[in-house]
Amino acid sequence: MTTRPPSGRAQSRGLIGLLLVAVPVGLFAWMTVWPIISGLVQAFTPTQPNGTRPFSPANFVEFFSDPYSLSNLGVTLWTCLVTLGLLLVICIPLALYLRFAQGRLAAYVQTMAMFPMFVPSIILAFAFIRVLGPNGTVDLLLNAVGLPKIRSPYLTPWGPVIGLVWDNIPLTVLILVSGLGAVSNQAVEAARDVGARPLTLFWYIVLPRIWTSVAVVISFTMLGLFSAFTLPYVLGPASPEMMGPFMQRTFGDLRDPEMALTQATVTMLFCIAFGIFYVRAVARNRGK
Amino acid sequence: MKRRAFMLSVGGAAAGMVLLPRLSFAEAGRIDWYTSSDTNILDFWTNIVKPKFEAANPGVTLNLVDAGDSAGQDAIVQRAMAAMQTNTDPQADYLETADPMSPKGALEAGLYVNLKESLSNWGLVNPLAIETDFAVPYRGSQVLLAYDTTKLAAADVPKTWADLVTWIKANPGQFIYNRPDKGGSGGNFVRRAIHEANGRDPKAFTLDNFSAEFAEKSLAPAWEILKDLAPSLFDNGAYTSGNTQSIQLLGQSAVTMIPAWSDQALQAISTGVLPETTGLVQLTDLAFSGGFSRGVVLANGVNKDAAIKLADFVLTEEIQSAILTDLGGFPGVSWDHVSDELRAKYQDIVPTTIPTFPGGDWGSAISDGWYRNVAPTVDRNA
Repeated sequence: MTTRPPSGRAQSRGLIGLLLVAVPVGLFAWMTVWPIISGLVQAFTPTQPNGTRPFSPANFVEFFSDPYSLSNLGVTLWTCLVTLGLLLVICIPLALYLRFAQGRLAAYVQTMAMFPMFVPSIILAFAFIRVLGPNGTVDLLLNAVGLPKIRSPYLTPWGPVIGLVWDNIPLTVLILVSGLGAVSNQAVEAARDVGARPLTLFWYIVLPRIWTSVAVVISFTMLGLFSAFTLPYVLGPASPEMMGPFMQRTFGDLRDPEMALTQATVTMLFCIAFGIFYVRAVARNRGK
Repeated sequence: MKRRAFMLSVGGAAAGMVLLPRLSFAEAGRIDWYTSSDTNILDFWTNIVKPKFEAANPGVTLNLVDAGDSAGQDAIVQRAMAAMQTNTDPQADYLETADPMSPKGALEAGLYVNLKESLSNWGLVNPLAIETDFAVPYRGSQVLLAYDTTKLAAADVPKTWADLVTWIKANPGQFIYNRPDKGGSGGNFVRRAIHEANGRDPKAFTLDNFSAEFAEKSLAPAWEILKDLAPSLFDNGAYTSGNTQSIQLLGQSAVTMIPAWSDQALQAISTGVLPETTGLVQLTDLAFSGGFSRGVVLANGVNKDAAIKLADFVLTEEIQSAILTDLGGFPGVSWDHVSDELRAKYQDIVPTTIPTFPGGDWGSAISDGWYRNVAPTVDRNA
């Protein structure tokens, strides 16, 4: 690209461009950056009985020395990792099928895979109780053929996992399918011609191409899972609870905004790690 | 000017005019009514109270406005308060449920009408429900036990706390209550355990006697009672996350008994969510806690007199019976003023006492204490 000589016209254009971008940047600063800073400040300056607010990490010491909070953080990490693992196991084959299959059946499968995107999670949660809950549809069907009931995942840590996996399938499949667009049919055919088996094909031809997409899936889903609220709230056990419902309860019910902000800060640290992972994956891809 | 630019500016100006804030004034003869309650309450007013009231009072109409939530209604009250100071029109006459103690100073400033003096039907009100002279308790609900009569005969239903505990332990997995912060049915079940642990005296707890030490001392024995129950609950100590989910589990026959709000249980039975064979029972040694919804009339509303008529109207037998049959709530009037037929039908749930439990700091202490002490104690996989 050649650079244009600077002129009055170009400068005014630059100004308009800046003005146009100022609105979203301003909104971002006001609605996201500012609350983060003010939250951090509050979390790090606990109110003392005499009303002063000196800088102190006391809130964080309290969080990390409280086994109850730690077990909530632990179950959140467990839920996120298990959900992510299941998502990859389910969605990579699904995305491969959608990339390479043709015809009506593939279209139906694609519609089914996208369907969860249009179901609000509160409806999903109650449908889950109806289907997988005690004496739900699955139990009725098993009972009809003389089989014993299932051990219902409702109100156990597996409840949110199943709900979240279902809820996240569309986004994961979309990202993976778009990544698979980078795998050319010629490369696959050439590998087949020299006798590559499906697994070899996947490992040496497909996976290296979609690695960035997988990285994007990992970071996106982890960020989404960390902030999950409705499904853990309705389907999960009373204890340990995931960070989303825990923060809401600390803030709204225990009326302890400082501790809620502390929990939010701890959660955000984990999210930042995945955010950095995402930025690096994208940057590496751009650099190619 | 180019045609396109002309069209754009004319169109924009026209759109702008539509969006301009319009001045509006309260109309004489139109009661501006606000609610912060759920849709079922607004439906009840739209379909039952409004047509009946307008038929009985020609020339007066009801303007039913959904304020959304309590924050939305607070804004209306604040506006009325401000209007009183500037002697202007508050555009509000009647609030379906409000606390005349809020906002601070409004009662003293004369924002609310003294309904005890103004209402001719005040004498009908259930004395158990009266909290203040400035709000009329017109509907209530209380937590009670809902059970499956096909699995548990009405004669064998536990009627005291001790019997209930015995029954739960003798029938492991057949009882569930929701987390105390996620809905009043489980919340008041937990509060009943607290009453049990503290001499069954609801007066032992007030808004003002909260202190961290007293809470620690009075709540700890209740946690022991509830921890003792946990292994006998559904799925070795599971707790649903709301009133509705408990009802759903009872409806799916996964459990035999749950604590439930009277109005939600009655409504669930009438809509078929719970089967006809669902029984309802209240404990006789000390009832589960409950509460009333209380309407207020704004003293500076343009239609104050009509609004007072409305407050009187909701206490008539016609509306009070409808609260029982259509809304599934408790009447605000004494049960003597309900038709004999209805009184007989609902005799099992007629409360002789309606204990209450203070909110404020108690609510947080109970919720936090329950989550830390009761919820995690059972190894559910064992």
